[in-house]
Amino acid sequence: MSIDEHTPEGGVPSAGDHPHYFNDPILDCLTNMVLELAAEVWVNRERMLVFEQLLGEQDLIGAGAVENFKPSEQQQGSLREERDRFIGGIMREIRRLAEQRDDASNS
Amino acid sequence: MNNRLMRSQQEMKWRRIISTFDEQRANLEAELDEFANQHPQGLEIDPDFVQPSYTNVHFHLQPDGYYKDSLAGVRYHYGTKVFFRGDNDKDQLHAKLVQHTPSPADGRVKRVLDLACSVGQSTTALKSKYPDADVWGIDHSAPMLKAAHRRAVMLESDVTFSQRLAEDTGFNDAEFDLVFAFILFHELPKRIIGETVREAARVLRPGGLFVVYDFCDSASMSPLEIYHRDFDARHNGEAYSQDFCDMDLGTLLSESGFGPIDMGMAGGYVKRWFATRAEE
Repeated sequence: MSIDEHTPEGGVPSAGDHPHYFNDPILDCLTNMVLELAAEVWVNRERMLVFEQLLGEQDLIGAGAVENFKPSEQQQGSLREERDRFIGGIMREIRRLAEQRDDASNS
Repeated sequence: MNNRLMRSQQEMKWRRIISTFDEQRANLEAELDEFANQHPQGLEIDPDFVQPSYTNVHFHLQPDGYYKDSLAGVRYHYGTKVFFRGDNDKDQLHAKLVQHTPSPADGRVKRVLDLACSVGQSTTALKSKYPDADVWGIDHSAPMLKAAHRRAVMLESDVTFSQRLAEDTGFNDAEFDLVFAFILFHELPKRIIGETVREAARVLRPGGLFVVYDFCDSASMSPLEIYHRDFDARHNGEAYSQDFCDMDLGTLLSESGFGPIDMGMAGGYVKRWFATRAEE
């Protein structure tokens, strides 16, 4: 997303793409990381509750089936990709800040 | 901290909506086109339409704004679903608002115009209230209108959506009995607000009714509400809202051929203006 700071016809200039609300921008990053985590955790938790409910109702898994599950190589690859995406979402802000600082020090 | 959380939640909302719809982009675009091709009578997209520069704003931080992306309409609609936390999934808010809206004093409602209708929720609500009327919804954004049209076909609501500007509709003089503008004006620059009010006066017949719901004026807001509005202006893409709230819409309406004008608060920080088109 790239937001123009100046509106086309008067009005109030936009705060732009990455405004800071704390004196130290790292606090903005940390808040975003916590929110990203909270969103991911809740979605997973909600889906997990639904799965457990459905699987239990239909007698599709027994006790310990999840803990004893052994993924195939392909499944392991998919899980790794999903884990990277998960971490990428959480770390997005702090990575952006680090890149911004690198760019500033290189220029 | 509160400002940080408001901004972050808005950004997260759009990221998730956009990534979800982008995964289905080809199917959704094909579906919008299919509805447009199979039911062409309810949709007018102007191939020569010139997008006014003032619409190039990231309203409510929606990435790419309201007209640049072909899925802007479906994105916007889902964004409002999140904003209303599911409480407007069946257009309950729009239906309630329209039901509480008066008709012209003589009761005659044959043609209705919904200005800046976006995805057409108030347009279809107006059709439900006035089933025998010819109901039009206009908007500057083709993606909004295509999403509006798909919705209306699915709801079996016989309305027409057309790509036109609220300030320059292209309709004939005195063609409408009722013109409706729901939370439109605070998204317009001052110049366009004046032009839109004069255009509404032009297309309404004498005795017709201009119904406006929008942000209340600054004088009616508490200091905290003004703070939130100003935060929204700078940090949530509500670029023109301060200018609108500092205006006196009632005076502008009365100077533009309306009267009497019934004004009052409609709930929260939303105000209503029910302005009758004065006789010539």
